[in-house]
Amino acid sequence: MNRVQNTKMILWLIVGFAAAIGLNRFIFGLGATTNLTDKTPWGLWIGFDVMGGVALAAGGFVMTAIFYIIKREEFYPFVKPAVLTAFLGYMAVVFGLIFDLGLPWNIWHMIVFWNPSSPLFEVGWCVMLYSVVLLLEFSPVALEKHKRFAAAKNFLVKYRFLFVLLGIMLSTLHQSSLGSLFLIMQYKLHPLWYSEILPINFFLSAIALGLMMVSFESLASHWLYKRKAETNLLAKLGKIAVWVLLVYLIVKMVDIFLAGEASLIFNGSFESNLFITEMLISAIIPILLLGSRGIRNTNTGQWIASSLVVIGMVFNRLNVGGVTMLSVTGDSYVPSWMEVSISLGVVSSAILVFLFVIENFNVWNLRPVDPQAQPDTLPSFDYSSHAWLGVPNVASITKYSLAFIFAFSFGMAVIPAKQLHSKGILEIEVNRASGKEILFINGNRDDNLVSFPHEEHINRVGKENCNKCHHYVLPNYKSSNCWECHSSMYQRVDFFKHDWHSSASGANLKCFDCHMRGVTKNSSSAKQCTDCHPSYNFSEASGCGFEKYFTYSYADAMHNLCVTCHTEKSKELVDAKNLSLCSTCHKIEPPESIALNLNWQTTKSRFNNVVLPVTENIEED
Amino acid sequence: MDQWLEFTRGPLFRLCFVIMILGLLRILILDFIGAVKLYRSVADKTIPWKLVLSRTLQWLFPIKKIGRSRPVYSVISILFHIGLLIVPIFLFAHVKLWESSVGTSWITLPFAAAYVLTLSTVAFGLLLFLGRVFNKSSSFISRKQDYIWPLLLLIPFLTGFICAHLNISPAFYSFTMLIHILTGNMIFVLIPFTKIAHCVLMPFSQIINTLAWKFPPDTDKAICKTLNKEGVPV
Amino acid sequence: MSYAILTDVTKCIGCLKCVAACKETNHLKDDVPRVWQNTDGLSAENWTSIISKPDKHYIRKQCRHCLEPACASACPVGALHKTDSGAVIYDSEKCLGCRYCMMACPYGIPRYDWNKTVPYVKKCMLCYDKLKKGKQPACTDICHEGATIFGERNDLIKLALQRLKENPGKYITKVWGEHEVGGTSVLYLSDVDLGFLSYKTHLGNEPLPSTTEPAMESIPYAFLGMGGAMLGLNWIIKRRMKLNKTNGKNMEASHE
Repeated sequence: MNRVQNTKMILWLIVGFAAAIGLNRFIFGLGATTNLTDKTPWGLWIGFDVMGGVALAAGGFVMTAIFYIIKREEFYPFVKPAVLTAFLGYMAVVFGLIFDLGLPWNIWHMIVFWNPSSPLFEVGWCVMLYSVVLLLEFSPVALEKHKRFAAAKNFLVKYRFLFVLLGIMLSTLHQSSLGSLFLIMQYKLHPLWYSEILPINFFLSAIALGLMMVSFESLASHWLYKRKAETNLLAKLGKIAVWVLLVYLIVKMVDIFLAGEASLIFNGSFESNLFITEMLISAIIPILLLGSRGIRNTNTGQWIASSLVVIGMVFNRLNVGGVTMLSVTGDSYVPSWMEVSISLGVVSSAILVFLFVIENFNVWNLRPVDPQAQPDTLPSFDYSSHAWLGVPNVASITKYSLAFIFAFSFGMAVIPAKQLHSKGILEIEVNRASGKEILFINGNRDDNLVSFPHEEHINRVGKENCNKCHHYVLPNYKSSNCWECHSSMYQRVDFFKHDWHSSASGANLKCFDCHMRGVTKNSSSAKQCTDCHPSYNFSEASGCGFEKYFTYSYADAMHNLCVTCHTEKSKELVDAKNLSLCSTCHKIEPPESIALNLNWQTTKSRFNNVVLPVTENIEED
Repeated sequence: MDQWLEFTRGPLFRLCFVIMILGLLRILILDFIGAVKLYRSVADKTIPWKLVLSRTLQWLFPIKKIGRSRPVYSVISILFHIGLLIVPIFLFAHVKLWESSVGTSWITLPFAAAYVLTLSTVAFGLLLFLGRVFNKSSSFISRKQDYIWPLLLLIPFLTGFICAHLNISPAFYSFTMLIHILTGNMIFVLIPFTKIAHCVLMPFSQIINTLAWKFPPDTDKAICKTLNKEGVPV
Repeated sequence: MSYAILTDVTKCIGCLKCVAACKETNHLKDDVPRVWQNTDGLSAENWTSIISKPDKHYIRKQCRHCLEPACASACPVGALHKTDSGAVIYDSEKCLGCRYCMMACPYGIPRYDWNKTVPYVKKCMLCYDKLKKGKQPACTDICHEGATIFGERNDLIKLALQRLKENPGKYITKVWGEHEVGGTSVLYLSDVDLGFLSYKTHLGNEPLPSTTEPAMESIPYAFLGMGGAMLGLNWIIKRRMKLNKTNGKNMEASHE
């Protein structure tokens, strides 16, 4: 039974991590979470979660058709799990869509605003209706636990045939309409995948995938709970799947030949290799494996064949859903790790619900039980820490919640800090300091002026040493002012304006004008500023490297520059002990001559950070 | 060093702070489940809500205790807790950090008040620690780790005070600040898993206390059964 | 009354005034394009752009306002629709953010507010508010060179054909947008190939919504057909099972 618990633990960890990333998606938006672009607006979440999810849930309608319509009653053990898988699959699709849609709170608009010419409208309606039908199909299992629901249960069982029929009809529609979605992308989709009979291809592959998904799910759950797999029944399923896969393969090939695109299969391009791989995984190898009676009847053979079909068909959905469009759009989309983790999280949560239902309702003839959930077992202690995990039936919750929390916090920790900090910090632009011989800098924007005796510093450092402070020298300036690069008060600023250089309305450079081909695109593999702007002058002594590509915020830069020097000097100069105190520079009141010319709104000094122990002494000096 | 500081107050802080928030929520929920289960199993379903409330309030504001058994101890404890809660939340520098990362800010402590409160917290914390060591009844119920917690709590206060008020060299400043942040983070993680969790568990512990003294139905029979005296009149 | 825009590539001098005017009328902010995607200059804050090509050719890119728009046919809630005035407009109140319109557009025009938490689809709307007031779009209004002009679609096509006739050899003899994907309301006259404006160099003349029509029309038949087939199958199998049972009984009876 440890196997179940470890699996659940891993699933909870994934769910926890994904929950943190999901929070990130809702707080910072799609752009911060995904690698989607205007050219690739549909990515992993549509290709895998939605299209793959709907296809994987096809087992529900296939099994009910076999059991209720064709009356092959030996398949009874597969029906309830298949319906449950289908229902959870659709719930996962909706759950995944909530992350993917830009405005998920408007998802109900599909009920109110109609556009019958859109395939997506039809898919949406079918998925909604079918989820309800699946719920009705499955709810007798849930209702039989309590006697007071007996009437409702009997009613549902009485009309079950009707629901099954409706479910099959609805499934036929939306499984094929998922293919119709891509008919309109005639100019984007690769011809090997684009076909006028895409809906039929999708429907046939969904049937094959449904059969193999039922077999995969049965194998996996029997392995998980250490039960003997129903090898004979699975072999029969495999036999049916061979015929469906054969029809699928033949229809697809005949269609490609008739369209005269057969030469594309072997022309050696990326797409042709992709196509060959897909056909091998999704159809040809499984047909060969399941076609031979020896392999079909072994457990290993069933494992391999069913997982191949599952992987292959999801691969097909991914290919149609975007991979084969990349060469046309010229985009290079690779899902970000955040997209991947949210997808995994959606799947994991569906599996967790599946395991929960299996343990608590009579989905199987013999319900598996989590031993820790039994009230009469001994109280459990964790074997590593010897900590008491609570009364027996709470012990598993104790462990899983802990896993969830740690994974969630870890997720929060790995979210790039740039996003977390970008919203909160006020964008405060820095402008020129006022004054001439003594410069006055409005340090915190609260009229606590910093006085900077510029003239005195020149005298002290020497006129030839301007570059000690003015390190970045633009071509047209003798020496640049601090605020020109350190242009934000509290935020790091990109000092190299990448987007301006690449945009059409800016310098209009292509990627490879600056970056080297075949190397990861980063600052070290790119041209440097002075390659194109030879007159730019970077003083090396200042430590301002343009390979860093950012400048410190104004406040940090000034503090670094001043404080380091001042602390050194304060040791040397015996008579100026206050040199390294904040209050030496951060005076509170600006001199009148300056204050009159200020446009800054005087606010109450909110921050008493420079209220100072030794103010009087300084003024005497 | 700067990178270390950046790391500890960025990702590490987020990790620890979220663990604290969710961890407290978790033990609250787990305790609630425990209380419900206990409530279901006992025969006497009445809960003296007034008593529970008054006891919780008494624990929160132990004014009555001042006049009773250990007046000095109670006063010190109250003062210690005031400083412990107020200084980290309302310190100017901390509020500024929140403002720069999340964007919200709230009222801050005046400079002098923070100065006094920090020092008082350190002093009272030390006194409490000494009390635990030298008072016989306290040390009798203390485990090893119970001596460590109060001292650990004091480290961020001390280092924070040093960083804010003393004129020290930049290298030493960074080092002290690093210790300040690291120990602070460590406390965040420890809060939901140690005795410090009493900050949220107070009401539940009262309810469970009152419930635990009640017996489940048929307790008498169960006891007889374990004692092998079934059928013997009690 | 279907209005249109005719852009004459040979007259454009690339002054970007139309881009600036578009930004001003639609209250668009400064452009913050995401890295690596901004190759044609369009973005959520840039609804028209000038693409410069060799030999001082400047081509203005904007929404083509197809006569039978793929985006409008694709949108599941009908947030996009073609108005009588010729503009394809977007109703942000209806949108649910599925981005199918962006997938469907053969010109790759609609853009998305990727950086916002409440993102909308953004594209040129032919200054629909101005059209309703009887004014012309900001971009054609400001163009001093007459490179991009506004008018009724039929008139503009006539004008374009006239220019082609009067200046033989100056243009590629084709009015771009007259027939492609069923015709568009933004027309081009050009002396360079404008195939790069769309995903495929030469788009067919068939409107894109007609590709999904057969599939969508067969839906009721597929729905009812599947139901009928299943019912029929069920009836046959039930009957066969019943016959088997009675046969078995008969057999048993005859045996006895």
